[in-house]
This record gives sequence, structure tokens and C-alpha cells, in this order.
Amino acid sequence: MKTILTVDDSPSIRQMLAYVLSSNGYRVIEAGDGEEGLMLAKANQADLVLTDQNMPKMDGLTLIKALRGLPAYRQIPIMMLTTESSPALKQQGRDAGATGWMVKPFDPEKLLEMLKKVLSRSTA
Amino acid sequence: MSTAQPTAIPYHGDGMAFARNNLPGLQELAARLTAHVDSAEREIGETRAILQDAIARLMPAFMAGNGDALSAAGRATALAKRRSAAASSAFSALQFQDISDQLLAHAQMRLTSLRTEVDDIARTLADEPEATNFETIMQAVQKVNRNLAALESSLVKPVGTPHLGTGNMEVF
Repeated sequence: MKTILTVDDSPSIRQMLAYVLSSNGYRVIEAGDGEEGLMLAKANQADLVLTDQNMPKMDGLTLIKALRGLPAYRQIPIMMLTTESSPALKQQGRDAGATGWMVKPFDPEKLLEMLKKVLSRSTA
Repeated sequence: MSTAQPTAIPYHGDGMAFARNNLPGLQELAARLTAHVDSAEREIGETRAILQDAIARLMPAFMAGNGDALSAAGRATALAKRRSAAASSAFSALQFQDISDQLLAHAQMRLTSLRTEVDDIARTLADEPEATNFETIMQAVQKVNRNLAALESSLVKPVGTPHLGTGNMEVF
């Protein structure tokens, strides 16, 4: 079973993601901000990280940079899931080491398809 | 032949007299602005709390009734596919709370800053009851101007999505 770490300060988005992912066979770990996400990522090896951008304590881009500094997360897919869609910010995400970018609101089916694709690419 | 002239504020070069004559009006204006900003800030806070509460109640109820439809996409029946599509669409729409909350939080930050600045002006006006130091008042106004300009550049637009249609997905 693949483990997905979701990092979002919105409880409703975390709840939705947990439901969609767990009902489709994924193990889900939830964090409410970047700091907690980093702590949980160190304590649990996730197969994929799904993070928001605007969060208290530590934002998504900072989290990605911190995760890419950890040997265990150098090759793990990290997807941004955010309301932000500006090309400049996307470029910053790419530079920080994000694997992909998804703009909220997300469609659960498309999200699942995307995650499947990214996960299969990373294990290939 | 008469030509329309722009209405000018009568100012006769005596800064102290100008301030002295207008100080009570400015103090009243500052007090009113503070009160309105304060109310708007509180109302936004209440709206955010109501939205959060509504979605917290709506989500489990929706999941209990329709959540299983999300895993029905792979099934062959037309009904299962329709249910799955409807559930996906509802799930997307339920994310309105997260999106609107970010916009409201942004507006709240603006109001908090405005209140701080108006308070600052009100304090300066109160400290100059006789309006003998027109320059002090003008310095306070200029400081507020600078702070508000800095606020504008520091607030990044939090939401790029103008509607609740689902957003793009892209793998780098």
C-alpha cells in the first residue's frame, strides 16, 4: 500500500483528500502546515507528498526545498495542490523541486489519475 | 462665456490655521473609520467561522451519502459512472470553503492594517489638540501612506481561481 503525506492548513481539504485517497487504497498521513509536514515526513517514509502553498509556519515551497534536502525524499514525487496558478509561482515550484502542480478546486477522479501516473513513473 | 472650473479646497497658506479649523472633523472621521473597519473585520471573522462550521457539518453528511460513489468510476454500469461523476462534481464544489476562507483572510489582513493606520492618525490628532504642529500631522499622514503602499506590495493574491470549475493539473 502506497503512503501519501497530505499537507494543508484547511481541515476540510485534508478531510476530503483523506477520504478520496483512503477509499482508493492509499494510506494517508495528514499535516496541517509545512513544519508538521516536514516532521511527519522524517518520521514516516511517504511514497508521495501532496502539499498546499499558503500555510502558516512553513509554506509549500519552503517545505519542498527542505524535503529535497533529505536523502529519503530526493526522488519522491512532491505535488503542489494550491489555489495559486501564476506562472511565476509555478516556476518557483519547479525550481524548488516540485514534480507537478495542481490548481484547486481539484476533481477527485483527475487527482487519482494524476497520482497514479506520477507514482508509476517514480517506481518505474 | 463661462468655463467650468474645478472646485478647489480653500487653503490660504496658513497650515496651522487650516489644521486648527479641520482638526475636529478629522478626529471624528478617524473615529468613524476605526469603528467601521473594526465592524467589518469582526463580520469577516464571523463569516469565516460560519463557513468553517457549515462545511464541517456538510462534509461528513455528504460522504456518508455519496462517498462510495467516488470509487465507482471503474465500474461498468452507466448508473455507477453517473453517480461517480456527480460525486466528483460535488466534491469539487465543496472546496469553496477553503477558497473563500483564503480570500476572507486576505481582506481581514487589509482591514487589520487599515485599523492600525487609522488608529495611528487618531493618536497623532489626539496628541496635537491645538493643532499647533501641522507638520507632525502631515508626517503621520505620509507615514500611513507609505505603510499602506508597503502593505499592497506585501499581500500576494491568495487565490488565482476565479470560479469553482476544477483547476489545471500539470506534471513538470
